[in-house]
Amino acid sequence: MACIDDKGNLTATAKKILTAVKDQSLTAEDVANEAGLPLFKVRSSLRDMASMGFVFQNGDSYQLNEKAEKLLNRGS
Amino acid sequence: MSENIQNTQEQEVRSLPRIGSKAPAFEAVTTIGTLKLEDYKGSWLVLFSHPADFTPVCTTEFMAFQEIYPQLREMNTELLGLSIDSVHSHIAWVRNIEEKFGVKIEFPIIADLNKDVAHKYGMIMPEESSTEASRAVFIIDDKQVVRAIIYYPLSTGRNMDEILRVIKALQTTDKHNIATPANWKEGDKVIVPPSPTQEGAEERMKDENLECVDFYFCKKQL
Repeated sequence: MACIDDKGNLTATAKKILTAVKDQSLTAEDVANEAGLPLFKVRSSLRDMASMGFVFQNGDSYQLNEKAEKLLNRGS
Repeated sequence: MSENIQNTQEQEVRSLPRIGSKAPAFEAVTTIGTLKLEDYKGSWLVLFSHPADFTPVCTTEFMAFQEIYPQLREMNTELLGLSIDSVHSHIAWVRNIEEKFGVKIEFPIIADLNKDVAHKYGMIMPEESSTEASRAVFIIDDKQVVRAIIYYPLSTGRNMDEILRVIKALQTTDKHNIATPANWKEGDKVIVPPSPTQEGAEERMKDENLECVDFYFCKKQL
């Protein structure tokens, strides 16, 4: 679970990615551009977060799952 | 018994990817989480192995790889390290490199404890060491095809300029359909592939844009 730190908070990378897909459905490429992160890192993180239910996938696009919004707002 | 050892070694040799073949797929635990080869689709990748964390030659190499990382990224190329060590060992080592040498390692490193990726890529040379990966470099293009393979022994650190040069040469070849001569560097003249027909060879000798010594040896400036 590379997207969660030892205190149960989102890592900086996970926060950037979830913020990018908060109000819009984006592809991994779009997220990488918007968040300014390397594409391989975004693909890996999105896969991780999809398996944990933080985002849901529709075709090639990802969007924030409402249930994960609390986690996104925590500590911000 | 000795037959078994021979069979095992033959299998390892057979698993070595070849230039032009699809790079073997993998899913591996790394210092940034789980990575798959397919995560790198669309960018070039330098997948390299090192014998062990906390060893001097590897430490110099890691700092040197980090130094060229910005240049590689400008060339749409990512770096991915590998050794048969744990993630915690990798983390401790990169923290140590930052603390002792002031160099922050920014690229991920595969923790290949079960040697899964090392075996797929033929990174272990059993005659040299069966517990450590040799210094292998696989240059994989944006379509996940192996384009170049370089091996160094345990005792010899790699040359970063050569790795940069090979990638630049391959990308120039792809873009302009040319080849590059010995010791080529960006800006040097390139080789025009020989014409496969006699007519084409004769026309080529008349082409004023080319510098031809003979029909098979023509250069041009890009």
